[in-house]
Amino acid sequence: MPAAVEFRSVRSTEEAVASLSEHGSDACVIAGGTDVMMQYARHELSPAVFVHIEGIKELTNAQRDGSLRLGALVTHRHLADDPVIRTGHPALAEAAATVGGWQTQGVGTLGGNLCNASPAADTAPPLLVADATVELCGPRGIRRVPLEEFFLGRRHVDRRPEELLTGVEAAPLGPRQAEVYLKVGRRGGMVVAVAGLAARLSFDEQGVIAAARLAVCSVGPTPLRVRPAEEALLGLCPSGRMTDDGYTALEEAIAALSGAVSPIDDVRSSAAYRRAVLPRLLRRSVEVCRAAVRAGISQDDLS
Amino acid sequence: MTSVLGRRVTRSDAEAKVRGSADYGVDVVLPGMVYGALWRSPVPAARVVAIDSEAAWRVPGVLALITGADVDNHPTGLALCDQPLFGWPVVRYEGEPVAAVAAETPESLEKALDLLHVEFVERPAITDVTSALSPDAVLVHPDWASYASPSGAEWPREGNVVCELLSDPGGVGEVFSSAAHVVRDVYRADRQYQAYLEPHAAVAEYNSGRFTLHVAHQFPFNVRDRVAHALGVGASAVRVVGHHIGGGFGAKLDVALEPYAALLARATGRPVRMENSRSEDLMTAQCRESAVVTISSALSASGDMLGCEFDVVFDSGAYAIDAPYLASIPMFAVGSVYRVDRTRVRCRAVYTNTAPTGAFRGVSGTYLVFAVERHLDHVARELGLDRRELRLRHLRRNGEKMLNGQTLADADILRECFDRAEEVAPFSSLGKGPYRGVGMAACVWLTNPLAGSAVLKLNEDGTIGLVTGATDNGSGAVTMGLRQIAAEEFGIGASDVLVTMPDTDVAGYDAGSQGSRTTRVVGMAVIAAAAQVRERVLSIASDHFEAAAADLEVVDGGVQVRGVPSRRLTLAEVAKLAASNGGPITGAGSYSTPLPNYSPTCATGFLFPAFPTPTYHLHVAEVEVEPLVGTVRVLRYIVVQEVGRVVNPTGVVGQIQGGVAQGLGYALWEWLESEGGRYRQRTFESYGLPLSVDVPRVEVVTLEHGDSDSPHGAKGVGEPPIVPVAAAVANAVSDAIGAEVDAIPIRPEAILEALGPLGASEHRE
Ligand SMILES: Cc1cc2nc3c(=O)[nH]c(=O)nc-3n(C[C@H](O)[C@H](O)[C@H](O)COP(=O)(O)OP(=O)(O)OC[C@H]3O[C@@H](n4cnc5c(N)ncnc54)[C@H](O)[C@@H]3O)c2cc1C
Repeated sequence: MPAAVEFRSVRSTEEAVASLSEHGSDACVIAGGTDVMMQYARHELSPAVFVHIEGIKELTNAQRDGSLRLGALVTHRHLADDPVIRTGHPALAEAAATVGGWQTQGVGTLGGNLCNASPAADTAPPLLVADATVELCGPRGIRRVPLEEFFLGRRHVDRRPEELLTGVEAAPLGPRQAEVYLKVGRRGGMVVAVAGLAARLSFDEQGVIAAARLAVCSVGPTPLRVRPAEEALLGLCPSGRMTDDGYTALEEAIAALSGAVSPIDDVRSSAAYRRAVLPRLLRRSVEVCRAAVRAGISQDDLS
Repeated sequence: MTSVLGRRVTRSDAEAKVRGSADYGVDVVLPGMVYGALWRSPVPAARVVAIDSEAAWRVPGVLALITGADVDNHPTGLALCDQPLFGWPVVRYEGEPVAAVAAETPESLEKALDLLHVEFVERPAITDVTSALSPDAVLVHPDWASYASPSGAEWPREGNVVCELLSDPGGVGEVFSSAAHVVRDVYRADRQYQAYLEPHAAVAEYNSGRFTLHVAHQFPFNVRDRVAHALGVGASAVRVVGHHIGGGFGAKLDVALEPYAALLARATGRPVRMENSRSEDLMTAQCRESAVVTISSALSASGDMLGCEFDVVFDSGAYAIDAPYLASIPMFAVGSVYRVDRTRVRCRAVYTNTAPTGAFRGVSGTYLVFAVERHLDHVARELGLDRRELRLRHLRRNGEKMLNGQTLADADILRECFDRAEEVAPFSSLGKGPYRGVGMAACVWLTNPLAGSAVLKLNEDGTIGLVTGATDNGSGAVTMGLRQIAAEEFGIGASDVLVTMPDTDVAGYDAGSQGSRTTRVVGMAVIAAAAQVRERVLSIASDHFEAAAADLEVVDGGVQVRGVPSRRLTLAEVAKLAASNGGPITGAGSYSTPLPNYSPTCATGFLFPAFPTPTYHLHVAEVEVEPLVGTVRVLRYIVVQEVGRVVNPTGVVGQIQGGVAQGLGYALWEWLESEGGRYRQRTFESYGLPLSVDVPRVEVVTLEHGDSDSPHGAKGVGEPPIVPVAAAVANAVSDAIGAEVDAIPIRPEAILEALGPLGASEHRE
């Protein structure tokens, strides 16, 4: 039987940090609670205090000012619906729209998704390909950590007990850039990713990939940016029909991707299946990005 | 008054269910009630060496702690007495009850369960049917030979084989040796969990030597008998009170928590409530059995099916439950829709160290029809024949017999099913385009014949009270159908028929909500009861009007002189007159469907010998495969179903839509993988039920060839719509990917493998 637990609602970041400093690792931050409450019910958590942060108004905003700044309490529904995010970060909006069901999206937060650090966190791959940085506020001030370094292991992040994740900063899409998030599930909704892949690709005038960001989830202990595969994509010129050169380059990227992941067998799928779909996702992501940039360019031409 | 039959009437429980005030089994709260739970085995096979309960007993609030050592742990069971109350001293599956505990609060209960210490010696577990059948297999029940059936029935069984059905008309070998073609397939199907909303629960009371059990159960009279047997008391010492059922689909036909709640109530002298957690429920519900089906056909050069070998091995789990009955179902899955001259059928139910399997809507039929219909598609492909043509060519005709010797007087309905489906969408027009496919599957299904009864009373305000032990498992069979049938007899609205909840002390016997029997069987009992009520009504009216009863009629909620509506008494007036003329008016009716003629010598081990009130079904599925990841989307789904008579269109369409949804889940998303005797999926997070977004609108065509011996012609409707679904979907997927599909569920893994390596798929687009 879990002992009685204190539930403390805070109204400001300072108040939250003060509470966290007071209780250290006996405290557990609770935002939307969609992960926390399940873990608590399964006796995986036994905090002395829940620090409830949903009432911190300043963390609920999404602002675009050059880069995108998302408060930790921005919900999945907000990410999915906000026109600024849908245009500047379509992969993030798509990812958020696939998180759980309507109710989960309504209360589940971005900060919770990242701090929970599930291998299947859907917002992680799109943010990884947007070079995101997380902002942590502690008693001694603000600390910024690249998202890529924030994930240390399954359910384990680079956050000190007294720190609150306050926001995320991410680079929006640039010209001749496109991105996509592809999530594999078994049924049509309410699925934890069997595998997920985000790609953000830049193309030059000739349609050659000039910059590439790739990230995956559910194929290893943490969401992961796959740099070797990104490098292999550079110089690739994907067209309707892959040229031999293009195809070889993709094969290299696929090999690099396969080498970087460590999928397992679990209740949702087999490691073999995860390995089988990844190359297909990569290939589809290149096609989708290429088509999106083309469509974007022809739109620009028209206007 | 126009007929209430065929109309959309409101369920009697609609408002309560919509408002959330309906009282389900889990809602029962009694004064002084305490809490009970089971300590379940964490391992699939073991010998219990010692149970140390001292620490558990010391937890404040603990009231009772019962193990196999404290009770007469004699084995009992539905079909075979092989299941003791407690896994003691031998544990045969993960989740088997080892001890039952009761405490004042859920908190002390949980603490006591934590502190109960059970010492095991683990034993090698038999976890799949193949190893169970191997000649040197460890026996799950070394004492199998000592077990008896509660009914005294006997059948071939030995070692790990719980039941063997064998039907061999002779000459099958000869047909195969002279055949132009032989096609052989092996199909596999995994388990399926019934996945109702309300988990198993029970509240028990013990007073003056009698038990009262509050349950939400499909078969209260079976609970009465099974609890009485397990506790060694007479059936009349147990009263079972039914509450609204949050779904059952077959998993609430046998007992689960009821005997333990009764034991704990007796031990504590307090009402005891027990409820499975979702994981406990999933782990221990008698889910649909996994199976391996081998089917071979001997064919002529032109593709006539001359002979068939049908071999089924299914996993009964650690206990028999109803497996000895289910072992007969293969006799109706092959040779019923399609004519085959000589067919040999063998079915073996096998013990393993896994959770016992049992009844699930469409018992065994789902994977048997899957095997038969997949095999037909394979045959068609092998011989270059049109799939629909091949089927039409072999369809049974009126008067032909099934393998059990039972005549299908109306089998031509099958052809009508095929014609009507073609009218909705020509088969050859569906499944066009890359990665799209179409499949069809047909079956014959039964309406369960087992007994039921009803008492009708004419209430003093002219309404009709319907007292029955029949249960409404959500289908509306009682809350709509039986009320409509009763209302029809008096020309009143269904809202003027008030129906009781089941109570074994109050109502006559009822064989439970199973096999689509309630409307058909209990409907007949209602009509018989109504006849008695009407007779009294006519006799009282005849005294009143001084007219011959033959000149009177019961219409529009009253009785009147034929053709003279002005000389009329309302039913309420008749009820008042009855007080001084023979007393209150009641009528009682009982019914069970006579078994059709069959040939008792057609098979050995044949405990389920006929398919009474047969119905006919054709399903057509159109699917699209996503080649990128191997998932399947169902684009169109067409059902043509013979129902006899639509009593309530909402009920009929709802049952068909629901059956298809559940069948799609079985075919595509509901994985219940067993690994070393343990399920991998243990919650709804990983056990993937279909969502509304996954299920297309089902296009339903009902055929109404009324059965002259059924209430207004109505036949069973609710069970069969799940039966052909996996078969139709698998055929459609196979058509879409141009490769065989030989396992249920159809996994994206298998589809990707069939589609071949990356790149190959692209060329097909
Ligand atoms: C039915 C259901 C379906 C789901 N489906 C998906 C899915 O498809 N994809 C997916 O990715 N997730 C899914 N989830 C998980 C969950 O909804 C998301 O991870 C969600 O974003 C968590 O946010 P939250 O606000 O509810 O976090 P909480 O549960 O409140 O917190 C999660 C973790 O983060 C910590 N935390 C939260 N906010 C902060 C902060 N600002 N600073 C420091 N620590 C913090 C908490 O202490 C806790 O450890 C699902 C959950 C449910 C219940």
